[in-house]
Amino acid sequence: MKRFFLGFCIAVTAIAAQAAAPVARIQSMLAKPSMLCGRFDQTKQLAGMKKPLLSNGRFCVVAGKGVLWRTLQPFPDTLRLTRDEIVHYQGDRVANRLDAKTEPTVRMINSVLFSLLSGDLSQLDALFETEGTADANGWHVVLKARKPELAKAIGAITLEGKAYVRNITIDEASGDRTAIVFSDMKTGDAAMLPEEAALF
Amino acid sequence: MIRHKRLALAWTLVVALLLAHQAYLWLGQRIAPDTDILALLPVQQRDPVLQQSFTHMVEASQQRVVVLVGADDWDSAKRAADAYGAVLAHTPSLLQATTLNEQTQADWLAPFRGHSLLLMSAAQERQLQDKPAQFWADSALSALYQPFSGPKLGAWRDDPFGLFAGWVQERAQETPVRPRDGHLFVEGEGKQYVLLPLTLKVPAFSIDAQREVVPLLAQAAEAARKAVPQADVIATGVVLHAAAAGEQAGDEVSTIGIGSLIGIVLLTWFSFRSIKPIALILLSIAIGCAGALSVCWLLFGRVHLLTLVFGASLIGVAQDYGIYFLCNRLNADARLDSVALLKRLLPGLTLTLLAAVIGYAGLALTPFPGLQQMAVFSALGLVFAWLTVVSWFPAVVHGGSLKSGALSQRYGALLSRWPRLTLNKATIGFCTAFVVLAAIGCARLGANDDIRLLQNPPAHLIRDQVRLSKLLDAPTPVQFFLVRGASAEVVLQREELLKQRLDQLIAQHKLSGYQAMSNWVPSLQTQDKRRALVEQKLLKDGGPLSELAAKTGEDAGWVEATRAHLLQNAAPLTVDAFLQTPASEPWRHLWLGPVDGVTASIVALRGLRNADLPLMAQTAGGLQGVQWVDKVGEISSVLGHYRETMAWVVTAAYVLVFVLLFARYRGRTWRVLAPTAAASIATLALLSWSGQDLQLFHVLALMLLLGVGVDYGIFMQEHPSRLDTTPWLTVGLSAANTILSFGLLALSHTPALRAFGLTMLVGIALVWVIVPCFQKGSAEHEAQH
Repeated sequence: MKRFFLGFCIAVTAIAAQAAAPVARIQSMLAKPSMLCGRFDQTKQLAGMKKPLLSNGRFCVVAGKGVLWRTLQPFPDTLRLTRDEIVHYQGDRVANRLDAKTEPTVRMINSVLFSLLSGDLSQLDALFETEGTADANGWHVVLKARKPELAKAIGAITLEGKAYVRNITIDEASGDRTAIVFSDMKTGDAAMLPEEAALF
Repeated sequence: MIRHKRLALAWTLVVALLLAHQAYLWLGQRIAPDTDILALLPVQQRDPVLQQSFTHMVEASQQRVVVLVGADDWDSAKRAADAYGAVLAHTPSLLQATTLNEQTQADWLAPFRGHSLLLMSAAQERQLQDKPAQFWADSALSALYQPFSGPKLGAWRDDPFGLFAGWVQERAQETPVRPRDGHLFVEGEGKQYVLLPLTLKVPAFSIDAQREVVPLLAQAAEAARKAVPQADVIATGVVLHAAAAGEQAGDEVSTIGIGSLIGIVLLTWFSFRSIKPIALILLSIAIGCAGALSVCWLLFGRVHLLTLVFGASLIGVAQDYGIYFLCNRLNADARLDSVALLKRLLPGLTLTLLAAVIGYAGLALTPFPGLQQMAVFSALGLVFAWLTVVSWFPAVVHGGSLKSGALSQRYGALLSRWPRLTLNKATIGFCTAFVVLAAIGCARLGANDDIRLLQNPPAHLIRDQVRLSKLLDAPTPVQFFLVRGASAEVVLQREELLKQRLDQLIAQHKLSGYQAMSNWVPSLQTQDKRRALVEQKLLKDGGPLSELAAKTGEDAGWVEATRAHLLQNAAPLTVDAFLQTPASEPWRHLWLGPVDGVTASIVALRGLRNADLPLMAQTAGGLQGVQWVDKVGEISSVLGHYRETMAWVVTAAYVLVFVLLFARYRGRTWRVLAPTAAASIATLALLSWSGQDLQLFHVLALMLLLGVGVDYGIFMQEHPSRLDTTPWLTVGLSAANTILSFGLLALSHTPALRAFGLTMLVGIALVWVIVPCFQKGSAEHEAQH
């Protein structure tokens, strides 16, 4: 989680430039629900490790509120990002809490992650150059950090989707690779499970 | 006669030289007075390390101007800040913006990678000692599965337990400032701010620099508000304070100086009905001031603005000699030759000069360089004015050339009706009442040695300063711990011991944090300890690393390879190596390095409240090589110390002047000194009754009061007959002028000068009123009545 925070902490330093072509079209395709929950399957291939690390769980993206990221397998692990804090639970135990009061970048990190999961490219444009295509079946975008040193560190982020984001792939310069596939996506208030609502 | 002509000629020569030097100073050198308030403080000689630590901290902050430009939202804040910066960009030779170097920003962690195994937060070090292996295996696994993890600090395997990341986060939290969109960002008071650190490229205390910088900053703030009307601009810097102080003192020099001159001109006109005496008195004052400035410049190489402010009041004293001579000329027989008249007046004139110079010599005894300068300036000014009177006046003012004006005649007549001290019931009753009231007053008199007496910055500067240090959570540069040791290693170890105590204070919310070199470079002892901890608790066979391998399906070879990979990054980090890196730039001022055979460093505190200052002094207690430095408290204690010392110096000066006068006045000596002494005591009692506290500057004024008040005593005793109104006229003219000049000093916005002026105002008025009461009636005089 700390590593996570730092990555974005520096990521948000990139400066704004003009928007790329398919953004408007993708924006028009996105459903932008006020609440979106679903399942994720993550595959991580780390440098120096033979086998990929598989995990899955549930996620919720709530407009105006934040993101809940619950890993269920292989062990329960929850990340809750709201406007004022980032809380990391290992099981039920709070492993770490990052407050916007002591760490001013919390809000920026949260807004970037929110944009990423909801496919809001117009918000990410300040940080990334977007290249991609869009047709009736969906869209495909590669995000590259605008600053070379940032690109060197983060590598490339690939997003795929239609009304919602379906795949995220992160290729890091260190050789670590993370692929996330979203499925079972539901919108509306019923999308969130009671135990998830209790966390928010 | 001939001898006096020679003297007049010689003095003309001196004055000609003086004029040449003045022309050189003002036209050739373009001199500008000093405005640095610190120049007025005593030089700390007893502890060079302590002294250097302070200079170090002051120098680090002196050339800095820190500006915050804020708005309700980040985009407006950026727009306002860009408008602000654009104005400054025209003059990079004056103020330089510290640009955010993207390269440095991205690479700032690189130098630490080779040492990353030894760098961890204090909390993590405790957890390594306390937590079981399972805790570490769990947290490493958790990090392993988290999405988006570790893009920045390298691959997961560079820091599987998140120790280095924890350390980096701990370092980041030493400041609330964060890079954002190529700007520095800080949030607070419900607003978003852009931080603009500026470096002043010209000396903060140069008046020319202040004249350019202050309007430039105002113009930039204007531009920011034009771009974003609700923009909030907070600017602080030593240069702004210096400019405000300089402007205030500059205004006061002209008000006090001009007011005093107008007073003298009017009074002289009404007394003598002639332009000539005015011209002569102004001439003696001008030569006095010019001489003082020239010699001071030759002696010190600089003149402080406060010296000039104080020197402006010199006008009030320097006139005494001229007035005394002219009043005597006015009342003397027109046939009496002026040189002969001077000869008759010379003993009294010499005594008045000596008494005043003794008064100023007392000021020169203080260790304040500014006061020494003021003392030398004033004493020299008096000597020059005195010599002008003695050398030139008899040659140009002849008998019968002066007529007395209506004012002087009516005023002179007052003397015969003035009460006189005789042994009767009224006198005894009055004296008893005075003694009782004065004793009660003096006994109740409190003391105040606050450093703010020296300087009184405008309210908006203080407000900005307070807001800025809150928003930036910046440490104070004048209160800190000084840590010393035989080597860098010893200093770092001592810092770590101190930090253990400070951590407890942070837990009690007495502090919000501290800045120390050992935050960045732990002592080698600590680095060794950490390495052993990591190896034993995390990396050994069967430990968390092995468990991670089991959970992720890796084999013993992976464990071995990962351990070897981690141990590669365990080279000891040294202060010298750290100081070479760009990351150390904001922290270099904390490291004093070797000074006088010892190595020293500074531990600066954030979020310290004044009420907790005594607690800090206690915290240093019992820690070897650790000292609490409180420059504010120290200056206050110095002020207090010299207030007490000066009180003794004043008393000693009375004794000295008494001895000096005794040679001439014998049994009447007490009559010369008593008015001044009584006025001084009455002034102190009045201060107390009006609820004021005694400060050093009241005591300094009493010293000067002695110098001036004794003049009046001498004038009155030189002419004991009440039919001779000459001394009474002299005292009246001189006292009225002195009150005019010092009365205006009491209007000063600097508390110290105000205290000084008020004391002189009250004291001189009292001496004037009571000095005739102490005149001894001679038998011949009584018979005539």
